[in-house]
Amino acid sequence: MIAEQIVNGIVLGSMYALVALGYTLVFGVLDKLNFALSELFMLGGFIVIGSVGLGAPLWLAGMLALVICGLLGLVVEFVSFRKFTSPDAQVTAALSSLAVGLIMIDLVQKTWGGEPVAVPVPIEWRRASLAVFGMQVQTMKIIILALTLVLMAALHVLITRTAMGRNIRAVAESPTFATLLGVDVKRVNQQTFFIASALAGAGGLMFSLRNGVAASDVGFTFGLKALAIMAIGGMGDLRGAVLGAILVGVIESLAIQFGFGKLGEVIVWALMILVLLVRPSGLFGGAHVTEQRA
Amino acid sequence: MSEPQLCVTDLHVAYGPIKALRGVTLHANEGETIAVLGANGSGKTTLLRAITNMLARQQGTVRINGAETAGVAAHQLIRQGLLHVPEGRGTIGRLTVRENLRLAYDLRPTDHSFEEALERVFARFPRMGERIAQRAGNLSGGEQQMLTLARAIVNRPRLLLVDEPSLGLSPVMVDEAFAVLREFRASGMTILIVEQNAHKTLRFADRAYILRQGQIVTSGSGADLLHDATMLSHYLGSG
Repeated sequence: MIAEQIVNGIVLGSMYALVALGYTLVFGVLDKLNFALSELFMLGGFIVIGSVGLGAPLWLAGMLALVICGLLGLVVEFVSFRKFTSPDAQVTAALSSLAVGLIMIDLVQKTWGGEPVAVPVPIEWRRASLAVFGMQVQTMKIIILALTLVLMAALHVLITRTAMGRNIRAVAESPTFATLLGVDVKRVNQQTFFIASALAGAGGLMFSLRNGVAASDVGFTFGLKALAIMAIGGMGDLRGAVLGAILVGVIESLAIQFGFGKLGEVIVWALMILVLLVRPSGLFGGAHVTEQRA
Repeated sequence: MSEPQLCVTDLHVAYGPIKALRGVTLHANEGETIAVLGANGSGKTTLLRAITNMLARQQGTVRINGAETAGVAAHQLIRQGLLHVPEGRGTIGRLTVRENLRLAYDLRPTDHSFEEALERVFARFPRMGERIAQRAGNLSGGEQQMLTLARAIVNRPRLLLVDEPSLGLSPVMVDEAFAVLREFRASGMTILIVEQNAHKTLRFADRAYILRQGQIVTSGSGADLLHDATMLSHYLGSG
């Protein structure tokens, strides 16, 4: 039973990880919080519902969720971050992105109403299970884990092995020096927002597949947890975001297993407060260094 | 006579109410090495950052190879053969030495391959070969300076702007840095060097300008200014 809950926790954590990666990518590059990511997470599921409703097969609907969330990320970059470049505009940009997120919630509720909406998932994904290390694991969970692993591997390759990733890392360390080396900082910002938003959308898409429904309040109830995860893992630290997400997912699942129920969420936020007090750079290194701006 | 490669006319730059440059005019002909000397706070770094469009100017013109640079994004300008080595070297500490050099290569790919460009770097700085896979942030100060100059070897700019190359270096490394800059000059590169280390720089530069409180107060050949010791100490402190 405990092993099963740990698997559940890892599945939950892997979905959190995608949003946390989005938060930490944007924070790493701009030193700013993009609150709209939580709502792009929420939107992921609804885009699937909408596209399937228009006749798209599930695989295409999933791809659309990633692409549309990515494009909406570009909109967020343009309206909430492009103008606020100075370091002291952090609050302005964060508030503006929060407002964009709230608009997304309103639009979803206008379109689909306030109640959760069923996501068309093949019934065998939920019914069937596979034996993994002597445990029966629902096919759905294996699909979610496999997809998140693929996305994380792709992100890892993108960041560490490609020219785009090299530019992103250069801008994360110093926009000034990166510009002097010919890097187009504006373009890197856009790329970062697209990737981060597509990842958040992917997380929400899988979250809705697992639950069988998409709900307009999951940005607040689950998407925001990515903030705690980012703080726990170290702001701007990609590896820390993944490890922190798995840790949080497992803590929540075990809390349910041992009858603490919703207390799991309290533990997560308390853990964030504790980590911020004791290790502000995060549990797993926290390698992000902010440029000294003259 | 063709227009100088770099032509700065009546350049004004301000940080809010503080005027940092108040009408700077200077030029560098192709293949020439010019120096701008000045004490701390005289506006040297501001001048370089304004030339590369990292700072907005209030007034004045900057022409590179005859073309006005106003409105050209900084990263675009740098792709056109202008390499600005900022104060503090400008290496990206969390990228490896290879990645730092790759950035410089990508912004202006020469007709050689990146591997060939690396060979040229290793021939000049064997040490960079040993350090190639390390993070630039783990290099010593001298090695970082080598990496900075190695970027110019990879990138082959037509116009090189260098901000205080001797800052924080041991005397041996300062000599090494100037030796490399001499090689760049011999290869026909136009160099604008900004320094506090007046004597070394004046022996190196063809011409020099003295900057004081955002204005050029005097200029002349390196040799002439070098012999005018009273003027130097007056404008540069101990010089």
